[in-house]
Amino acid sequence: MKINVNALKLSALLLALPLTVNAAQDELVEQGKYLAKLGDCTACHTIDVGQANGGGLPFTTPFGIVYSTNISSDEEFGIGHYSLKDFTDAMRGGVAPKGNLYPAMPYTSYHLLTDQDIEALYRYFMSTKPVKQENRDNDLMFPTNIRMGLKAWNLVNHDSKVFEANADKSEKWNRGSYIVNGLGHCGECHTPRDAMFAMDQSRHFEGELIGGAMASNITPQELNRQGWTKQDLDDVLRKGYSRKGTVFAGMYPVVFHSFSHLTKDDMSAVTSYLLDNDAEVAAKSDIFNGHDKSDPGYALYTGFCAGCHGIDGEGKPNVSPALIANATIDKAAPINTLSVMLNGVEEQRYSHTHGFYAMPSYRDTLDVKQLTELTNYIRKVWTKQPSDLTESQVQDWVDQIEDSIADAAH
Amino acid sequence: MSTIALSINNKAIGPIETSDDIMMIEFLHEHLNMTGTKFGCGVGVCHACTVIVDNEDGTSESVRTCINGVSRFNGKKIRTIEGHAKENEFGEIIKLSPVQETFIENFSFQCGWCTSGFVNETTVLVERLKLMPIHVSEIETVIDKALGDHICRCTGYVKYYQAVKELILATEGLTRS
Repeated sequence: MKINVNALKLSALLLALPLTVNAAQDELVEQGKYLAKLGDCTACHTIDVGQANGGGLPFTTPFGIVYSTNISSDEEFGIGHYSLKDFTDAMRGGVAPKGNLYPAMPYTSYHLLTDQDIEALYRYFMSTKPVKQENRDNDLMFPTNIRMGLKAWNLVNHDSKVFEANADKSEKWNRGSYIVNGLGHCGECHTPRDAMFAMDQSRHFEGELIGGAMASNITPQELNRQGWTKQDLDDVLRKGYSRKGTVFAGMYPVVFHSFSHLTKDDMSAVTSYLLDNDAEVAAKSDIFNGHDKSDPGYALYTGFCAGCHGIDGEGKPNVSPALIANATIDKAAPINTLSVMLNGVEEQRYSHTHGFYAMPSYRDTLDVKQLTELTNYIRKVWTKQPSDLTESQVQDWVDQIEDSIADAAH
Repeated sequence: MSTIALSINNKAIGPIETSDDIMMIEFLHEHLNMTGTKFGCGVGVCHACTVIVDNEDGTSESVRTCINGVSRFNGKKIRTIEGHAKENEFGEIIKLSPVQETFIENFSFQCGWCTSGFVNETTVLVERLKLMPIHVSEIETVIDKALGDHICRCTGYVKYYQAVKELILATEGLTRS
C-alpha cells in the first residue's frame, strides 16, 4: 500500500491545530487568573458565606452602601453574557451593559491595563465557575442613586487612557508602575480624595484615612526616609510582616489574596517603583533611644504593651511585631499608632507557621491623657519623631479615626 | 525596679519592689504565692490567666495577666480565683460562689486549668447583668460573646455554657422576658 506522506502531514497538522489554539487559550486563561490575583478581584466580589466571584460585599460610602456584583461566568446573574468589548468598557470606562458602574469598582485605575491583559482577564472570568447569586440593590441616597450622574462624574474626573511608559525610567520601574497603579489599584486607598471624591493625583500616594486606619504615605520620599529596603517591601507585601513592621486593617486581605501571589520579577518591579530605585537600597540603622523611667509613658508601656512587644520593643515571632524599626510608629501624624491602640488588630494567619495573634482594643481602657503619654513615649524611644504631642492634638486624631470607621469603600 | 501596691481580694498588698518587665501572673505566682491563676499560652490567646479588675466607677473588667505587666495593676483593686469562696476565720472554705457552684454541679471542667479564667469571666458577666439585665432570648448570644475567647481543651465548652445559662436563669434580676 502506498502511503501518501503529504496527506499524513496535513492530517497531523489539522489534528494539532485545535490543540495549539486550546493551548494558547489555556495560557491566556492562566495569565488572566494571575492578573485577577494582582487586581484582587475575588476579595471584593465574594462574601464570607458565598461562592467565589458571586459578589454581595457591602461597601459603606458617605453616600450609602454599594454592593459588589456577581462577576462569575454565570450568564443570568454574572458577566457570562458580556462580550470582550463589554468587559473592556467596564474595566476601562466604568460602563457595563446595564449602565455606569460606581467608582467603588476601581476602573479609575484599571483603565491603565493593556488590551492583552484585559483579554486575558476576560478569558479567565469566562472560565470561572458560574454562580447563581442575584445581585443586591445598592442603598444610596439621592442624587447619587441615579447612575446617569456617573456619566458627568466620569466626564470631569475620569481619563480612560491606557498605561504609557515613562521613557526616563527603566523597564522594571515601568512594569512596577503598571502593576501598582493599574491592577494593584493602590492609589484607590493610598491617594487622598478631592472634593469630588476622585483621587487627587497632585497628592499621589500621600496617604488617606479610611476605615479607621491610615492607608500610609507610600511615596518614594516617605518610604526612603523610613528606611525601607527592597527586601523589606518584598517581605511586607509577600508575607505581611518585615523588619519594618506589619500590615494590618484593610491591607491584610490585600497581602493575603493578592500581593503574596506576585512572581519574583513582578515583586522586584513593584519594589523598584515604590522606592524609585532599581538597585538595592542600603538599610538604615534601627532606632532605640533607650527607656526613660521617669516618663509617665514608661509605666504605661510596661503595663500594656511590653508583654507582647517586648520590654525593648523587640516583639515576639509569630505573636506580635517589633517596635524597633517599625514604620507604623515612625510617621509625622501618629494616626496608625492611635488606630491600633483604639481598634486593636485582628488575628492574621498567612500559613500554618506564620501569623500574628490579635492585639486587644484599648478604646475603653486608655483615656486621651494615657493615649497621649503612651504615643509620645513610643515616639521618644523608637523614632526620631518629636514626642511633644498634646492631648488636644491626640483628641483630634482620635475623632478623625472614629469618623472614618464607617467609610470603608475605596 | 518598680514599686507596686494594690488590693487583691480586698487585702492591701505591698508596696513591693519588682522588676519592671514582669507580667502580672509572675507577680502573683512568685511574689505572692497565689498560684490559682493559671499560666496557659503566655501570649494572651487562651484567657486561662484572666483576673477581675474593679474600676472606680463600679464596673469591672476581665484582664489577662500573662500579657499585661504588673504596672498596669499598680494602685488597682483586683480579684483572683482565691477570692471567690467564703472562708471562715481559720481560712477554711465554707461556701463557694454561685459561679463556682454551678460549674461543679454541671461537671463543667475536667483538668481545671482554664477554670479560674472561666470563673472570673462569668463573675464579671453575672455582675454586669445585675446592672443591665438582658432579654431572656439573648442569653446564649451574650454567653457566647462573654466566654467565646476562653479556651478549654477538656470538656468542649457545652457544660460550661450550660452551667452559665442555668445560673443566669436561676438568678433573679439578670433577665427580663
